[in-house]
Amino acid sequence: MSVTSNETLVEAEAVAPAPAAAPKRRRGFFAGGHYIPYVMILPAVAALIGVMAYPLYSLFDLSFQNVNRYAQLVNPSLSRYIGLDGYTKVLSDDQFWEVVLRSVYFTVELVVLSMVLGMLFALLLNRVSPWAKVTVITVLMFVWAIPAIVTGTIFKWLFASKGGVIDYIGYLFGGTSETKNYDWFADPTVGLYVVSAAVIIWGALPFLVIGLHAALTQVPKELIEASKLDGANALQSFRHVVVPVIKPFLLVSASLSFIWDFQVFAQIFSLRNSSPEPGYWNIGIYLYEKGIVSSHYSDSSVISIAMILLMLAVLVFYIRQVIKIGAQD
Amino acid sequence: MAATDVHAETVTPLAAPKVRQKVRTTGQSRAMTWVWNTIALGFAAVMGFPIYWMIITTFKTNKDLIAKDPTFWPSTFSFESYKTIFDDPAFLPGLQNTLLITIGSVLLGLVVGFLAAVAVARFNFRGRNFFIVTMLVIQMVPLLAIIIPLFIVMKTADMTGTIFGVVLAYLVFTIPYVIWTLRSFIVNIPAELDEAAMVDGCTKWGAFFRVILPLTLPGLITTGVYSWIQAWNEFIVANTLLSSGGKQTSMIWLTFYSTTPTRGADFGAQMAGALLVSLPVIILFVIFQKKLSAGLTAGAVKG
Repeated sequence: MSVTSNETLVEAEAVAPAPAAAPKRRRGFFAGGHYIPYVMILPAVAALIGVMAYPLYSLFDLSFQNVNRYAQLVNPSLSRYIGLDGYTKVLSDDQFWEVVLRSVYFTVELVVLSMVLGMLFALLLNRVSPWAKVTVITVLMFVWAIPAIVTGTIFKWLFASKGGVIDYIGYLFGGTSETKNYDWFADPTVGLYVVSAAVIIWGALPFLVIGLHAALTQVPKELIEASKLDGANALQSFRHVVVPVIKPFLLVSASLSFIWDFQVFAQIFSLRNSSPEPGYWNIGIYLYEKGIVSSHYSDSSVISIAMILLMLAVLVFYIRQVIKIGAQD
Repeated sequence: MAATDVHAETVTPLAAPKVRQKVRTTGQSRAMTWVWNTIALGFAAVMGFPIYWMIITTFKTNKDLIAKDPTFWPSTFSFESYKTIFDDPAFLPGLQNTLLITIGSVLLGLVVGFLAAVAVARFNFRGRNFFIVTMLVIQMVPLLAIIIPLFIVMKTADMTGTIFGVVLAYLVFTIPYVIWTLRSFIVNIPAELDEAAMVDGCTKWGAFFRVILPLTLPGLITTGVYSWIQAWNEFIVANTLLSSGGKQTSMIWLTFYSTTPTRGADFGAQMAGALLVSLPVIILFVIFQKKLSAGLTAGAVKG
């Protein structure tokens, strides 16, 4: 990056502003000066190094140390490097694998259910009268606007064992008086895979239904009609005509759902009164409980790295999709 | 492709059957539309019910709240729950902190992100693609995974417990999103426009402020609203970074509030608090909903 060559370039342009000279570069607004774009991205780069790159570096650094008490964090001379011992410790912990496995099951449940339900309701929107469509979309917009922490608080009340309306509705539909005080959270399996899943899917559906519906309207009607004339039934024309057209959005929304659902935290946290029982720990909650609540900073660094690595596979897939779609613009 | 060809061939010579078929399908769907409408309304009812339940709970009297069977409509409307919330001395300071953090991160995110977006959209510089892809990757790294080191970095910089520390931390998600979304807006502004402005006697910065900035305004509003919602709703970073400073945001306040022994069972007040805390987001969403859903998908999908 020699300054002189920049200057000569600028001068050359000033002397002979032949538009054909360098048509690919520096068009329009402030044509000239190679340094300008770098100056413009500098604040963003500086901020992101400060709040992302450096913390990521110190995450790795921390994972090789034994900073597992608050005192060691305040007074770094108390801590030391222990190599891979931290990794051995976390990876040989049964609870870690239990949590990882639970996160995977839970994520698969969430992604599959929310994608299938989202698709079904998006298809439904294509068949209803305009007024019904407007009603559904309006409701979905309100649901979309509710913050995740609030969602957990609302559902805690809906599913409360005393005065909870879900129990009461169950009772009205033929339950016994025991149904009325059913404790949904007593068994974490029910509490996580039914109630927490309902909370998260409820919050995820607006984006999926509206997004998939928008994608479906891009499918040319003639194509579907043609496939019907060719003798395809509804399912076949969906598989062979609709799915290929909306595939980009389908893949990206599935990847996004995975990314969001895998690191879900706030909903479970507020649903379980800010201190979820171990049976509710997915990787996000586990990280928080280990790192923030019990000050095991190094241990949770190892967990963080595991979390990032687990997401990386899907991440690569997602980025490839986005770049592919971006290239079509 | 093949399907369209076949379609064209079979349909043109047989005009009459096509008409007959059309009549049949619409006749069929008219009956079916009612079935689909009913299902759609059922879906809307299920989706809307939690919000309905939150809102009517805030107006219920204590008598209704502790009644053996929940009531689907309050017997009398009471504002007691709201009074409880406003009497809580921590409610308004929490709201104020949230407001400061949100405004700070939106403004800073927009300024920094806009500059970078112009660079990416208008210049072809070395490392440009690397920069764009990095922005995408950063958006995907779970915030939760870097919460511990972020806490330590902020602690070293003596910024835990401060509003500004949280604002800086939020740049992790605002900047990449702003860059991605504004980039596509700016790319669509023809470079000829700023050239023309400069030919007409504008300086470079004049062209910037009079051409690029106004034309990017819709994009700035969309990304601003989105960043606002993100920052307003964020919980875990605020909770971690502010825990030592005695400050809190509305989201932290809400989780504290609903778990304190005295308030834990007062669902009326909890729902009133929940509604008040989400009101700014709901209002923004209602005003900007069309642009916002387009912007969200644009940022997430098209880039």
